[in-house]
Amino acid sequence: MASLPKRIIKETERLISDPVPGITAEPHEDNLRYFNVTVEGPAGSPYENGIFQLELYLPDDYPMEAPKVRFLTKIYHPNIDRLGRICLDVLKTNWSPALQIRTVLLSVQALLASPNPNDPLANDVAEEWIQNEAGAKATAREWTQKYAKKVEN
Amino acid sequence: METEQEEKPRYFKDEFDSSLEPKPDFSQALGNQSSFLFSSHGDKDNEAEEIIDQPKDIFIAELRRIIPEMSMAFAEELYEKFYESEDNISNAIAYYFEHLDEAQISQSSPTATSPAVTQSSMLSSPLPPSLKRKKDYGYRESKRLKNTLRWKRFIGSLQVTAMATRPTVRPLKYGSGLKLSKTVSNLSPSKLYDPSGKRKTVMANYVRIFDLQTDREIGKVSEDIAQIIYPLLDNDELDFEITLIFCNNKRLSIGDSFILQLDCFLTSLMFDKMNLQSNSSSFETPLRASWDNSSRSILETDEELKNRSRKLALLSLFDKLKVKPVLNEGELLEKIANGSDNTEEVIDLEDDESFEQLMSQDYQEDDGTQHQEDAMNLNQLKTFYSAAQSSESLKDLPETEPSKDIFKLDLRRYQKQGLTWMLRREHEYAKAASNGDDPQVDGSMMNPLWKQFRWPKDMSWTAQKITGNPIELHDDIFFYANLHTGEFSEEKPVLKTIMKGGILSDEMGLGKTISTLALILSCPYDSEVVDKKLFKGEEDDIRETQPHLKPYASKTTLIVVPMSLLNQWNTEFNKANNSSDMRSEIYYGGNVSSLKKLLTKTHNPPTVVITTYGIVQSEWSKIFKKQNIGAEIQSSSGLFSVDFYRIVIDEGHTIRNRTTLTSKAIMDLTSKCKWVLTGTPIINRLDDLYSLVRFLKLEPWSQIGYWKMFVSTPFENKNFKQAFDVVNAILEPVLLRRTKQMKDIDGKPLVELPPKEVIVERLKLSKAQNAVYKYLLDRAEQSVILGLARGDLLKQYSTILVHILRLRQVCCDVKLIGAQDENDEDISQGNQQLIKDSSELDKILKNTDTDVSNNAFSKEDIDNAIDRIMKKYNPQIDFPALECSICTTDPIPLDKIVFTECGHPFCESCIEEYFEFQAGKNLELKCPNCREQINSNRLLTVEKIEAETFKLKHYENNLKPAKLSALLKHLQLLQDSSAGEQVVIFSQFSSYLDILEDELKEAFPTDVAKIYKFDGRLSLKERSTVLQDFQIKDLSRQKILLLSLKAGGVGLNLTCASHAYMMDPWWSPSMEDQAIDRIHRIGQTNNVKVVRFIIENSIEEKMLRIQERKRTIGEAMDADEDERRKRRIEEIKMLFE
Repeated sequence: MASLPKRIIKETERLISDPVPGITAEPHEDNLRYFNVTVEGPAGSPYENGIFQLELYLPDDYPMEAPKVRFLTKIYHPNIDRLGRICLDVLKTNWSPALQIRTVLLSVQALLASPNPNDPLANDVAEEWIQNEAGAKATAREWTQKYAKKVEN
Repeated sequence: METEQEEKPRYFKDEFDSSLEPKPDFSQALGNQSSFLFSSHGDKDNEAEEIIDQPKDIFIAELRRIIPEMSMAFAEELYEKFYESEDNISNAIAYYFEHLDEAQISQSSPTATSPAVTQSSMLSSPLPPSLKRKKDYGYRESKRLKNTLRWKRFIGSLQVTAMATRPTVRPLKYGSGLKLSKTVSNLSPSKLYDPSGKRKTVMANYVRIFDLQTDREIGKVSEDIAQIIYPLLDNDELDFEITLIFCNNKRLSIGDSFILQLDCFLTSLMFDKMNLQSNSSSFETPLRASWDNSSRSILETDEELKNRSRKLALLSLFDKLKVKPVLNEGELLEKIANGSDNTEEVIDLEDDESFEQLMSQDYQEDDGTQHQEDAMNLNQLKTFYSAAQSSESLKDLPETEPSKDIFKLDLRRYQKQGLTWMLRREHEYAKAASNGDDPQVDGSMMNPLWKQFRWPKDMSWTAQKITGNPIELHDDIFFYANLHTGEFSEEKPVLKTIMKGGILSDEMGLGKTISTLALILSCPYDSEVVDKKLFKGEEDDIRETQPHLKPYASKTTLIVVPMSLLNQWNTEFNKANNSSDMRSEIYYGGNVSSLKKLLTKTHNPPTVVITTYGIVQSEWSKIFKKQNIGAEIQSSSGLFSVDFYRIVIDEGHTIRNRTTLTSKAIMDLTSKCKWVLTGTPIINRLDDLYSLVRFLKLEPWSQIGYWKMFVSTPFENKNFKQAFDVVNAILEPVLLRRTKQMKDIDGKPLVELPPKEVIVERLKLSKAQNAVYKYLLDRAEQSVILGLARGDLLKQYSTILVHILRLRQVCCDVKLIGAQDENDEDISQGNQQLIKDSSELDKILKNTDTDVSNNAFSKEDIDNAIDRIMKKYNPQIDFPALECSICTTDPIPLDKIVFTECGHPFCESCIEEYFEFQAGKNLELKCPNCREQINSNRLLTVEKIEAETFKLKHYENNLKPAKLSALLKHLQLLQDSSAGEQVVIFSQFSSYLDILEDELKEAFPTDVAKIYKFDGRLSLKERSTVLQDFQIKDLSRQKILLLSLKAGGVGLNLTCASHAYMMDPWWSPSMEDQAIDRIHRIGQTNNVKVVRFIIENSIEEKMLRIQERKRTIGEAMDADEDERRKRRIEEIKMLFE
């Protein structure tokens, strides 16, 4: 495996030493390009009080290429499909090497706060969201309760 | 083969040619005949039965054809006697010779008085009955051989154990005569030896012992003996007599061993051959033919193999016989005179020890004789040099100080020693300093390859047991043999010509020029001639009366130099010369109307005439065209019309290839003394030396046959030790080489130079370069892969060379491709292909070009961008603390900062990578930070003006070729740090120098830097102007000399500069070293700094690796064709792996 670019090391260190509120990202022991990520549902959103597991992988061409991010926790969201794939511009066309893991994860959190059913990935969810936003949000809350319940110690 | 072999014994004392021989040794041979004790005659029982009736006339005619002087009557008598027998003619002839006395009486022919004795001592019998034996004589060939063979002489005996291959009916008698024969005649040598000359088969199978009387095979000898004997049985240069001395007195069964005495004789033929060969003209032609042949083919021809095996066999035989060369002739002669010589040179046959030794050697597979040379490792070129310079004798050389009246300059100590050596080489002992032990001129120095041997006492069976006392045939005590070639001589082979002159091979920068000028000025004219003239008063040279002799320019030294050095030599001469009588003249382009008149008819001819190789060659070609090939080059005017007192060729390795016109022309110049100046006598192969030796007329080596035999062939056969020994022997007396590392008498280095630093700066190709490079690399790889797969890589060598050349050119500048360049070699065919490529290349270039022009960064845009950035940042504070958002480096090194048009900073490499990545994916180019459109041509970079002040400017690195930008940066830095520096820039592509010239002129105004260019296209006058002007220090501006390697890589003295840039790497590291030595040589007072620009991950880096390799394995040593081939393929593979 190619040696880890300085930038990745630097980012990782910073993610641990200076974490973003509501977000954790820890590299996998065996593969430092693979991160276990948790994102807290933003307050005021249907995902509030949920804690979502994600995986994040930095491809070889990172930072020229965007990281790959996927939800592991089931979520009811018009821009996230059943497999956890995320429809987010900065992960696709709007990626820039000036962006970082931190900024990507913040974007994901923001996506939870403001779903965009007009650019859907999960079509059934998006439809529900447009036709019956309250119902959709209720489902989202329900799912959050069901799958993303914060484990209180 | 067989018949000849069996004849041999008869040659002993054959005196057939006695009409020419003053006095045949008659009684002696007769004595032998009568003393023949042991042969059992009349062994007729197995006589062949078949009798062919021949008509009498045919018989007689045949007889008289063979022996014309035979009388008719005698012939008839013979017919009566022999017509019934098988092989009647041979029997008749045998009878004729045995009864010659009668024949003479009966015919009273005057010519027949001489060949009285024809029989060999061993075989002959006074009686006719041994007819059966006689029938085997080959009669036809015998005549030729007899004519040339005059005598044979004993050189030693061996006791040999043999093994019976056939049972015998009764025990062989003690003292029976036996003989050796080949079982298969005319076996092709290539069946016996593999191409390297190693034996393939067991020789014992091919050499058998026969009973002399019955002609029956008896046994075979041991392998080691067979190996020696087999190659020597072919001709009559050696003769063997074999006598049975032990068979345990019983019948032999197969496998029984018995013991023989093998007496070895050298015959006159061996020596006659030598005499023939030493006649050089007849000797050279065939050898030259074979020389040309073998340089083409790697395999030895059958003939060569045969010669080689013969040589080796002779060596082993001499070993076995313990024939040792005489080391001190005088001492031995004295001993002999005193009668106190007891040297026993013959193996004592009764000596048990040697017997045991011989027994134990039986049937042992001998891997080769002690003369088989061990293979030598290639690095021994260095050893060769160190031996050639023989530092011991150097220390002993006294110092000659030239008189200040004639020589202005001060010589260094080693130069004074060199002067002594040079004067001695010219036999000017009176002028050379002396330390009391001057070497004597030995007029009769023996050719060093020859060894003197003493004829041993005749201890052969015949001599001892039969005559009772050894026969002394000649009074000669010594004979001479060259065991390297297998040549023999009765006379001492003396080196005839004592050549005056030599090779001054001091390492570069040790002052060969100065030393030579000191010699010339100390010894400006031939004192012999001038003294003679003083006596005779008026000039009446004998040459005048003999029109075929050229007039002798006894006061003039001709100096032949490469064109670039013409003026330097002239300048140096004027610097050194302190005498108003002496002057130099440049002979160039017909500026002297009659050289002949000037040199031989005027009162005060120039002391030196300096000319160039080119002039010599063109004059020679003109004359040569007019004359018949082979005729001596003569001319009524010009350089070839006079005989010079001395010729000096500077950079003498110029003539190393003797097939070039220049080399041929130089060889035809005549003079009394000849000097070669060269720092590198060997450029590629050992044979480079041959041309120098030939020029010097260093006998006998200047004969190509000799050289080939002793140097080239052994070398090709990997007998490195022999080749080098010989080369050392040749050069030791005529070559003086000192190196910078050598210590003088006081233990100080000869030359102390300021340190030099060579830095390799690795660069990245620009975008356009990279695109073209990738395209060409792809093409090149394809053709190499194809070549390797088909196995004809070397056939495509020139095509591949072109590919490589193109890649190297791209590394410099894309514009170089297709440029006509004087240094492009081997690419004539390849250019065809280039034309095909060129349209494709144009497309690639156009792509990058349009890209550039469409996105041209106008002055206005640049200013706007700068404004924007200056508003955003406070340069002093912010610039040193910028972070690259791509790699998060913080801060970005100042010289690596690149701003986008929108004002965002990145590392140079990061933004480059980004551009490349996006382009590869066909994605838009947007600023990573603000997503604004950006372009690789619209970038800005930070320029540091003073310590804390920064300026922004257009970032152009990506547009300019990598090396050019780097060079400009370096030059700029140098201009800023030290004023008035002189800088030398080397390249091997003169068209690249043109490009650089334009670029540099554009980059630096004339008040900042003055640019000079020196390449092969300059006329002589321009050259000297350029060099002179460049050397004048100008503190107000930088002086930059663009120097073409080919034109200025050698000889020039550029010590005024202490900085050099090597724009492109050369194949040969020594060429690069030579170039660096232009500035790092005597006279340099500053530290020397050299920067070599190398493109990262390109062909150039691989060339560096090949250079490394060449340095370690010794590039000069690839003389072996096979080896070279292999190495070339490896090199090509290295380039493309």
